[in-house]
Amino acid sequence: MNVAAFIVLAGIIAGYVMLDGYDLGIGTIHLFYARSEEERAASFRAIGPFWSGNEVMLIVAGAVLFALFPRAYAVSFSGFYLPFMIVLWLLMARGMSIELRGHFQSDLWYGFWDVAFSLASALLAIVLGVALGNVLRGLPLDHSGYFTGTFTLLLNGYAVLVGVFTLIALAMHGAAFAAWRIDDFVLCAKARRAFNALWILTITFFVIVTWLTALVHPIIRSPALWIAPVIAVAALGGSRWATAAALRFALTSAFLFFLIACAAQTLFPYLLPAFPIGAGGLTISNSAAGTTSITTAVVATVIGIGAALIYATLAARRILKGIWQG
Amino acid sequence: MEGAVLASRIQFAFTIMFHYLFPIGTMGLAPFIAFYTLKGVRGDDGAMISARFFAKIFVVNFAIGVVTGIPMEFQFGTNWAAFASRSGSVVGQTLAMESVFAFLLESVFLGVFLYGRRRVPAGFYAFAAFAVWAGSWLSGFFIVATNAWMQHPVGYAIGSNGVIELRSIGAVLLSPFAWWQYLHVMTGALLAGAFIVAGIGAYYLLGRRSEAFGTRFVRTGTLVGLVAALIAVFPTGDRNSSNITQYQPVKLAAMEGLFESKTGAPLAIIGMPDVQHETLIDPIYVPSLLSFLAYGNFHANVRGLREYPRSARPPIELTYYAYHVMVGLGTIFVVITAAGALLLIGKRLYRSRWLLWIIMLAMPFPYVANEAGWVVSEVGRQPWMIYGLMRTAEATSPNVAAGETVFTAIGFLGMYFLLGVLFLLLILREIALGPSAEPALAPAP
Repeated sequence: MNVAAFIVLAGIIAGYVMLDGYDLGIGTIHLFYARSEEERAASFRAIGPFWSGNEVMLIVAGAVLFALFPRAYAVSFSGFYLPFMIVLWLLMARGMSIELRGHFQSDLWYGFWDVAFSLASALLAIVLGVALGNVLRGLPLDHSGYFTGTFTLLLNGYAVLVGVFTLIALAMHGAAFAAWRIDDFVLCAKARRAFNALWILTITFFVIVTWLTALVHPIIRSPALWIAPVIAVAALGGSRWATAAALRFALTSAFLFFLIACAAQTLFPYLLPAFPIGAGGLTISNSAAGTTSITTAVVATVIGIGAALIYATLAARRILKGIWQG
Repeated sequence: MEGAVLASRIQFAFTIMFHYLFPIGTMGLAPFIAFYTLKGVRGDDGAMISARFFAKIFVVNFAIGVVTGIPMEFQFGTNWAAFASRSGSVVGQTLAMESVFAFLLESVFLGVFLYGRRRVPAGFYAFAAFAVWAGSWLSGFFIVATNAWMQHPVGYAIGSNGVIELRSIGAVLLSPFAWWQYLHVMTGALLAGAFIVAGIGAYYLLGRRSEAFGTRFVRTGTLVGLVAALIAVFPTGDRNSSNITQYQPVKLAAMEGLFESKTGAPLAIIGMPDVQHETLIDPIYVPSLLSFLAYGNFHANVRGLREYPRSARPPIELTYYAYHVMVGLGTIFVVITAAGALLLIGKRLYRSRWLLWIIMLAMPFPYVANEAGWVVSEVGRQPWMIYGLMRTAEATSPNVAAGETVFTAIGFLGMYFLLGVLFLLLILREIALGPSAEPALAPAP
């Protein structure tokens, strides 16, 4: 059951990266690809109905971690105290920028929130990436399992590299979404060009990060574990040559989803490995809640997310294919 | 350690009290929006315009509620790691359920409601409004269930290493303590929503503008407000008091400022507790009423604070005043809405400017009452984090220093000041613009 719990958690995090990834990505490229007010408004319109639902996945991930692995939740959140608070403030700035921008017709007002939106999105992508990098690298944990390092220690070379990789990969994903959903023809073409440039960067960083990770982690420990990396590589490769915008976005989504799956299978059975790798840490067995709790939470989460997938799809189709109803 | 606990408590108290202002708005307005939408899709254009108008106010509340809500979930881990690690097996459940059952529902259908007016069929549009309502009230349920478990833990067992393990999720979710608390909290939110609706209506009538909407809002708000104000007193308020009497008698004594145990204990209407001398200063008593309210018997014995060691008592002044503020305001709400209902029957409400003034100025006070109620509940629970199981002083993160929390608390203070100013700016602007028909062929926002 602990393994099922791990899979559910990894699935939710992968889902979060895939979903919120595109609106963080659009935020990252917002100032560069959308220049005029019409274009920037179109950029916001494309994510308007979806961003808060996407961001809810982050709350789901936090809450599910809390229920399934309380110790790992307590250690990671208190250990990353300052980075998590920074994430919170960035999320606030970003949420405000999306919701408040449209309330006044003023160039100053727009300009302020455009920059706030873009900066907050880019910084969030980097901070989340740095956090993932540190988890993969291993954290200094004391004998009771609490984090003992400092803030500067979190900004090590490997983690920063993963942070930059995250920024670029999400920007690419955002560009793919923009090229698909934006209702402005010129801007769509710009998004496509941005996608092509970001794709090259993504694949470069992908190779470097994978190589560095493989130096410390045995990534492939059984033949079944080839599945996720192969799909990720195929999806990333295919996205460059996909002609249909929807297909391209589907492929970048698959890339990110399976990339997180790769990270998860690399970590397994650890949730927070100690640094250096091999020195123990918090695993799915020593930080899990009791059996009743795990079973309840897994069942509730699967039902909840399953139902959400159904009604969200239904709602999104109604919205996207919507017709004039007066 | 002392300092770290205090800093985390102050940060949590500040962030939760600020955050809760916005769920009051969303949970309070959601039912009005849902019913206006339903009338709207059935052909009442005024109702549809009203629904869209309150949705604009709702959405500002929702957005700020979301951004201030995320820190709440984070803080269990960042500042209260010892609590999270020990009780996550139970507390994590309800929070996870809130996010997968309620948040997703609310945010998806809010998207439909805001962006789908011209894109989805009318029936589906009304359904979306009700789904938003359901989502916001479901969210409230899981949060109150979490809190109620911390007030009165059930359905758990303690493992060998002291960790609290869930035994029965049914017991946690169906706990009568949780249900009465939930109904009381929702009634409070509904009351606040009713006063927002009525207050905005009164503002329009007093300013002699949008008068068709003004009368509609005043009527709906006053009548719903009366029902909510009555339910807040009885049965929900009453049942909560008896749960507290039964499970947290020291909280009851602090709420009432009762220092000495008494048979036929009087109820203090006003008075100021002097904790040092363990007495009430300048009290006005109603004889034997407290015994009756707590036990249904004028001669029952009510235990006073002196029966408990000082280390087991909550902060008395805060609990006492918060309780009296809540109850006093609750009584005033009954009087205002009852007067409104009487004048409505006599068909004089819309011309009774004195009462419209009162209704308009009363708008913020249900917020005060809601917050005061939570202060009673949370401060009155001290020194316990989980009643009888874990003390607040043992619950903070061992690896987070007071200085770190003070820094982030100051950060929240600044951030929330900005949010508060923006909120007022946007809400007052929407109220000033007023309900109006949207241009027929404009693109969806």
